[in-house]
Amino acid sequence: MLHVELTIQGLINGSMYALMAVGLTLVYGLLRILHVAHAGLYTLGAYIAVLIANATGSLALGAAVAIPVVGLAGMIVYRLLYEPILHRPPYVALIASIGLFIVMEESYRLIFGPYGETFNAPYLAERVSVGPIGAKAAEVAMVAGAIVLLGVLAFLSKRTRFGIAWRATVTDPAMARAFGVDTIAVRYANFFIASALAASAAVLVAVLNNLVEPTMGSVPSYKTLAIIVLGGLGNVAGTLVAALALGVIEAFGTIYIGHLLDRDAIAFLFLVLVLMIRPQGLFAAR
Amino acid sequence: MGSYELSLVTLAAIYVMLALSLNLITGFCGQISLGHAAFFGAGAYAAALLTKSGWPLAPALVSGAVLAAAFGFVVGLASLRVRHDFLAITTMGVGFLFIGFVRKQQGLGGELGLSGIPDHGLGPWGLAALTVTLAAATAALSLHIRRVWAGQAFAAIADDEDTARALGIDVMRYKLTAFVLGTALAGLAGGLFAHFTRFIIPDAFGFTVSISILAMVIIGGIGSTWGVLAGAVILTLMPELFRFINDYKLLLYGGLLLLVMRFAPGGLAGGIAALTARLRGAT
Amino acid sequence: MINRRTSLQIALAGVSLAALGVPALAQTGPIKIGFHAPLTGFAAADGKSAQLGAELAVAQANAAGGIGGRKIELDIIDDQGKPEQGVPVANRFISEKYPVVVSGSYSGPTRAAAPVFHGAGVPYISSYAIHPDITRSGNYVFRTSFMGEVQGRAGAKLVGELLGKKNVAVITVNNDFGQALASGFKEAAPKFGVSIIKEYFFGMPDRQFGPLVASVKADNPEAIYASGYFFNAGPLVAQLRGAGITVPIIGQEGYDGQKFIEIAGKAAEGVIITTSLDRDSKAPEAVAFISEFEKANPGVKVDMVAASTHTATRVALEALKKVGIADRAKIREAIAATNLEASTGRISFNKLGEVKKSVQNQIVKDGRWRHHSVIDDPVLLAPPES
Repeated sequence: MLHVELTIQGLINGSMYALMAVGLTLVYGLLRILHVAHAGLYTLGAYIAVLIANATGSLALGAAVAIPVVGLAGMIVYRLLYEPILHRPPYVALIASIGLFIVMEESYRLIFGPYGETFNAPYLAERVSVGPIGAKAAEVAMVAGAIVLLGVLAFLSKRTRFGIAWRATVTDPAMARAFGVDTIAVRYANFFIASALAASAAVLVAVLNNLVEPTMGSVPSYKTLAIIVLGGLGNVAGTLVAALALGVIEAFGTIYIGHLLDRDAIAFLFLVLVLMIRPQGLFAAR
Repeated sequence: MGSYELSLVTLAAIYVMLALSLNLITGFCGQISLGHAAFFGAGAYAAALLTKSGWPLAPALVSGAVLAAAFGFVVGLASLRVRHDFLAITTMGVGFLFIGFVRKQQGLGGELGLSGIPDHGLGPWGLAALTVTLAAATAALSLHIRRVWAGQAFAAIADDEDTARALGIDVMRYKLTAFVLGTALAGLAGGLFAHFTRFIIPDAFGFTVSISILAMVIIGGIGSTWGVLAGAVILTLMPELFRFINDYKLLLYGGLLLLVMRFAPGGLAGGIAALTARLRGAT
Repeated sequence: MINRRTSLQIALAGVSLAALGVPALAQTGPIKIGFHAPLTGFAAADGKSAQLGAELAVAQANAAGGIGGRKIELDIIDDQGKPEQGVPVANRFISEKYPVVVSGSYSGPTRAAAPVFHGAGVPYISSYAIHPDITRSGNYVFRTSFMGEVQGRAGAKLVGELLGKKNVAVITVNNDFGQALASGFKEAAPKFGVSIIKEYFFGMPDRQFGPLVASVKADNPEAIYASGYFFNAGPLVAQLRGAGITVPIIGQEGYDGQKFIEIAGKAAEGVIITTSLDRDSKAPEAVAFISEFEKANPGVKVDMVAASTHTATRVALEALKKVGIADRAKIREAIAATNLEASTGRISFNKLGEVKKSVQNQIVKDGRWRHHSVIDDPVLLAPPES
């Protein structure tokens, strides 16, 4: 019974990781950037949502504003920061991204204060049970949100013109251009979608924890890097599997070997072991 | 100089050693490491345990370096198998594993760390002189490695590993050499650090420390010994210079990383090189 | 002094900063005392509370006429909560020749700075850092809050004797605070008939505890002893209650603050903590602290960190009031002889420089921290003498 509960809790956490990491792997797939500042955009989404929800009493409005605004912010980050340094070695973008992440975290602290924000009226705090198994409504929303959003993404990439253009650009940008794909537009769209996914994750996490803090992106900032590497860097399906697997491994690990290693170490032990056996991650990128 | 200035000189010299040691791996050999603080920490813990059990400082420092190098050798072996961004994240994982393991070891003080590390007996001047000397020696070694044949082989690996291999360069040997040398120096810096603060906790060797060491290398100018040296000194002293804006210090630090990478991606060394080239062109 | 520092900075960094100017201690200007706290970095929220607590103590002292007619000023330095910042921070304050220095920081910087202050003969008071070795650095070092172990022992008494619960699940935050609390709790547990079913661990940045909560639920304990700070204890308590676990949850001073209740919401009701500040205290000191703090900082509620830092700063200022600022050995003696009614109770020190005071147990009722009980057991709460 406990093991079933642990597995469910692991999948809930894994869903959150997935929403964050899929956006990151989309960026990596297209531009080969380890986009650490993704976690800063995530935090931005949570702040917008909580502030609007508290001001208007409507969480839905908060989410409806946060998601597109953060999507736009992602496009701006691409335009102003990454585009001019794309031709540089990859560590240039990595350090720039870390710098931006620090700037964002510090700005949130200076503007909104270090104590964090909570919802005036906590949402989805009740428990939902099916027989003996139960979870917080916010946790159910997390999983449902991940399934719906990632389902939409899968549909977009497989069934729409944009999806075809996007996949063509990832596979071979020069060829895609030759076939008339606007590869620049694809990049912007890519950042918009990735950042909007991060904002969606942030709204769900804000509701789940009832806490939005300047540093809430610090764990996702590095944990999601591990996930996209596990998933094969740029491989969306692989990232999804890696996120869920990591969630479950952490769930069991913190209970059974928590006295030997902390949660991060458990996650990275798994990562290092996998990479020693499969240096290209669980699933190679295409 | 008062004890305040001396403690800054000591701290800066320790970070110069650290940054130069990472530059051997990342700058000369092209292996991005996001877990360098783990080797720094291994040296710190080893040296502190030894002097606490009565060893004199010098052999304790050397043993810390040797332990870190042994640990570095193992990670070097991993770098033969995992490459590029995969390696960067693997080294990051090694860093998290290190502190996650140390914080649960009661023999290493667990979360309370190691306190009561014996006085080094050198006085503030002596410790500053020792660290500056060792930092200078590290810089000299870097310059030397760069100059001799080995440096050229390193550079070839940094540029393109497969081509280097095709040219008949023993990639494996150089990668391992870079890892062993670089991590040994980081371990030595760790031993000095432990005797400087005389108190160490696991979190002093975490991911953010690894990132700040890498930032020193890249802001200074990856591969350039003088640039990295300057980068380490500036980034170590920056918080001190900006004490009067306590609250905005980290913001400024992040902003500096961002702006340097955006407008001078070659770091200080690259920026200065570009500037002198332009000045020459103008005359 | 100023010129020498500035020239060093130019030499080292090639950056000139004319704006940097820290006036040396003048004979007529304000009296400066050193204060460091983590204003940036992971502990910035506690750093902010610490700063506000210390500033209030100084403002109150100035309103009451300062020291010998001179105003008091805090020289505040951010240490980012990092141990390696402890040594330069200490040396900087020592070079300024401040008569006394207060730490509003965590154990990392405080433990590293303490021996440096002792070595230079500068009295140093730690507000809320819990590392057991801080005061062992020497007799110039004092602490106005409980050591983690002492508070852990009080927690065991609260659970076993006052609440009469015997089978307890222990949840420990992975840092020095959590480790010290857990070791004190485990040490005293057998004395009160408490047995520990299982110990769980979580990290400082963790906010989601689903697996841990599921496992605690399966253990079916009679009570839960959980260490942590408001930012992780808030979500933890909400998730424990959300899973239908109704047994008492016992925390400690890390929870202490209104933010915990805001985060946990209704789930916070009934949570009991061991701490230093009694919200229902009739003591004029505590009443005045709470009302003046909230008046000076609209929108910010008092918390344990602010109260502890306020107390430590007051201890420092009282000593200066008594013996002046000239002789630091005398200031040390005055601090050692402290017998002061402060916001966190009556403060006096033992031979080691550890505070001797009773533990205040607070319970959440109707969204506020209220009085629950007091543990005043000098044997159980005795800090080590050496």
